[in-house]
Amino acid sequence: MDFQAYNKIFVCKENIQNVKVEGTVIGYEFKIKYPSYRGTFLSCIEELRFKMDGEEIAKDDIYFCLNNKQFLLDELPECFKEYWFVREKATVRVMKAGGIESGEHELNAFMKHRIPYTGYFGQYLVLDSDVTDRLTAE
Amino acid sequence: MSDIKFGITLYSFSTEYIHEKLDLEGVLKKVKDMGYKGIEIIPAQMAPEYPYLSDEWIEELKGLLVKYELEPVCWSAYIDMGIRSDRDLTEQEIIQYTVNDMIYAKKAGFPMVRTQHAISPEIFRKMIPFCKQLDMKLTIEMHHPHHPEVPVWKEFFEIMKGEGKGYLGYVIDFSIYQTMPHKLYLDQALEYGCRPEKLDEIIEMHKKGGDMEAIENGDYNSIEKHTAEEMFGKFSAPARIDQIKDTIDCCFYIHGKFYYLDNSEHDPCIPFEELIPTIRNAGFKGYIASEYEGHHFDETIDSEEQLTHFIELNTKILDAIQD
Repeated sequence: MDFQAYNKIFVCKENIQNVKVEGTVIGYEFKIKYPSYRGTFLSCIEELRFKMDGEEIAKDDIYFCLNNKQFLLDELPECFKEYWFVREKATVRVMKAGGIESGEHELNAFMKHRIPYTGYFGQYLVLDSDVTDRLTAE
Repeated sequence: MSDIKFGITLYSFSTEYIHEKLDLEGVLKKVKDMGYKGIEIIPAQMAPEYPYLSDEWIEELKGLLVKYELEPVCWSAYIDMGIRSDRDLTEQEIIQYTVNDMIYAKKAGFPMVRTQHAISPEIFRKMIPFCKQLDMKLTIEMHHPHHPEVPVWKEFFEIMKGEGKGYLGYVIDFSIYQTMPHKLYLDQALEYGCRPEKLDEIIEMHKKGGDMEAIENGDYNSIEKHTAEEMFGKFSAPARIDQIKDTIDCCFYIHGKFYYLDNSEHDPCIPFEELIPTIRNAGFKGYIASEYEGHHFDETIDSEEQLTHFIELNTKILDAIQD
């Protein structure tokens, strides 16, 4: 199955960071990269979901940050001029009062993404990247 | 001295590049150290500003090519037809992407842009004046699952041999001649849950033409069924090598695609021993790019070692026919 080895770069092995605003923790952040050999347009992301310690993170609590901009997941299908360079880390901010407990956590990242040049006979290849990794929160 | 030279697409080092073991300069230094001269770049992979490249970045790239004494050969562009969620790209958008790639390639000193089949015969033809204006070759890659019998290629060849002669051409990718699944593919199938004895059965069935009905009705789990379907579908209809001579005059460049080489003697998947002499005897002059693609399947493989096998194997084949 083509492309599968690239999933190894999907979840970045960096620590999860709590986000503080003037001393108040309003959420936490982790980083992901686009799992392929080349970058893509954000509009090619058909689904993007995360589970932290087995629990689905509500879509409305997620802000996707890339290229010095912030996107709602619902905005991604419209982002056909926004390119995600393959070595660029996107920040996923999760809004959660109090943030995340320090220590180890299990993150599952799931992305359904269209490969935009593969419509050889009409159908585009749509891939599932489904990665679970253990990350440490500081 | 042969008219055939072996170059390299930087894409061969995808594993090292995306895992941040080598950056663009690191890859260029590596290919220089390996003895390569002609290079191909995929800007969608290695240009952080893609798809809108600044003159500063292009100057930086040119500087690196000079520093490592490398020859720019091919600028690999895409027709990303499915960028938008609501529709395919329009003709105007395809032209815009293609024009931009040709401008960037020209500025960076590349004599050729590789594009993809989705450009369509109509738009391909419309690019001729711009090719002439920039003195730039524009080529379409013939990549699996396409092959010379796909109807649109008849039209492409007519344009290449007719009004686009000398400017419009194509790039053969050796994926179209693959006859067998490669080792990394088979290892992955086992990792995903194929039972070894069942995988052997599927391979034997594939050699006899592939019977999907027998798979559907037999004792096979879902990953085994998927593997059989993919194997029978992908590797059962390789393009005919004897057809190469018919269109070699339009072939400006070749992707020496390979997935895994266990040694420098033979590849059980792609028939290099037939391909290289046929290409040479047909009169091909130019670069065959070393294109390692096992990185799709396994990131633990050493790309440099794979490329060394590729060069040794194919140099041996080429030398043998020149003696």
